[in-house]
Amino acid sequence: MSESKSVLIIDDDSDFVRAVQALLESSGYRVRSALNGREGLQLAKTTQPDLILLDVMMSERTEGFFLLQEMRRVPVLSNTPVIVVSSIYSDEPVFRVDPETGWLPANLFLAKPVEPAKLLSEVKRLTSETSEKSTAATGRRQL
Amino acid sequence: MKILKMAKHDLDFFASVLPAFGEVYAPVQRGKGFVFDKPSAWSEVRMDYTRTILPPKKLLLPPRETTFSFDPDQGFTDNLAEASKPVVLFGVHPYDIYGLNILDRVYAEAKFPDPYYIARRRATVVIGIDFVPDDKHCAGSMNADFVDHGFDIFLSDIGDDYLVLVGTSRGDDIVVKSGCLMQPATEADFAEYKKRSRIRRDSYKTKLELGDLPEILEMEYNSKVWDDFGARCLSCSSCSMVCPTCYCFDVTDETELGNRAGRRIRSWDSCLLRTHALVAGGENFREERSSRVKFRFYHKQRGFVAEYGRPSCVGCGRCVEVCPAEINIITVIETIRGERDGISSSAPASA
Repeated sequence: MSESKSVLIIDDDSDFVRAVQALLESSGYRVRSALNGREGLQLAKTTQPDLILLDVMMSERTEGFFLLQEMRRVPVLSNTPVIVVSSIYSDEPVFRVDPETGWLPANLFLAKPVEPAKLLSEVKRLTSETSEKSTAATGRRQL
Repeated sequence: MKILKMAKHDLDFFASVLPAFGEVYAPVQRGKGFVFDKPSAWSEVRMDYTRTILPPKKLLLPPRETTFSFDPDQGFTDNLAEASKPVVLFGVHPYDIYGLNILDRVYAEAKFPDPYYIARRRATVVIGIDFVPDDKHCAGSMNADFVDHGFDIFLSDIGDDYLVLVGTSRGDDIVVKSGCLMQPATEADFAEYKKRSRIRRDSYKTKLELGDLPEILEMEYNSKVWDDFGARCLSCSSCSMVCPTCYCFDVTDETELGNRAGRRIRSWDSCLLRTHALVAGGENFREERSSRVKFRFYHKQRGFVAEYGRPSCVGCGRCVEVCPAEINIITVIETIRGERDGISSSAPASA
């Protein structure tokens, strides 16, 4: 059930955070946010959200990349779905590393500006997948 | 060896690929010094560092490590899994890579290979960078200012770009993951590298002659200078602790109270310490401080040459920096060659 799902937005663009927070909350998600990587990692560890929306270029150009790798080393966050939402995929060739070569452990990449309907459907899909896995695991334990 | 180039301004992108290969350690500033540590942000990494307080040895041969635990019911459990965790050691100067190559000779290629060192070395990606020598570096004299192996990738400053030497297939994997960051190097890049290499070689302020040093050490074995150095030495062992090629260790078993279970601990040791040559019965082969100082330099500059064909000093300058009594590779070699009158200030009282 999407009403009980929590999403953490880590992005230094406060306008983007406010807009996405309003969008997700209107669809029943509980939303927290952090404006930089360090605060985001701390919040992610303590709140263990069902999904994380992560920017890349914050106080440093590659902050999101390092943060995501760091998250995957934290046991409680190793399987948390992460959507990288960044303008690095715009026509401007800022982004010069290819995540498709498999080094970046994100579940999905979306370019800014992101289509609200697309974002909502992907958040719903990824949080449902987590929920199903969690239910299956619980079911196995009960057996 | 594959040679490529990468724009300097893309270094942070390149670095963001590295965590996929292991936990990243890089030179960062702590207080007034530099250390290899996990950077909390990439901007913390100092590409311009002079030398780190401790060499990268600390990651491959930790100052104190549990090699295995033992229990009467469960037997022995080794710690190899811990030693096999992947690490990326970024920003290692060539003399420190040379130091690792020397440790390889002792710990990985000798008669009794050490599984813990080998596990760590195999699990460690080494990415080297070149450096500008200061007045304490004498890596040029030690022929340790350039390395042709012992690293996965080596970055050399050629102005707006780095020349990227790819030393291993693992280094090539990193290049592949770095995608379009790497470009083919051109003739102009090679010319720039050669120009800067020459400037770097010429910029050493400290130059030591090693040519006939083993022979001169042989001649000076009974010299009074060792007594002078011994009178000043505080036996603090700082020189050994910061040395990239000092590899002595001690082994102790720690057992739990009321139980026969426990663990075997390996910790750094130093030939400067009085207990180093102390044996059962209370005999000590190197009771005098002068004999301990002498032993250290004979081992580095003579014994190692006889055994491995080169001195084990890499000219990093750490012992120059830390010795409170000015006993270091520069003062010792120059004194033993008769090029200086011992060390400058008066000797402290012998204890």
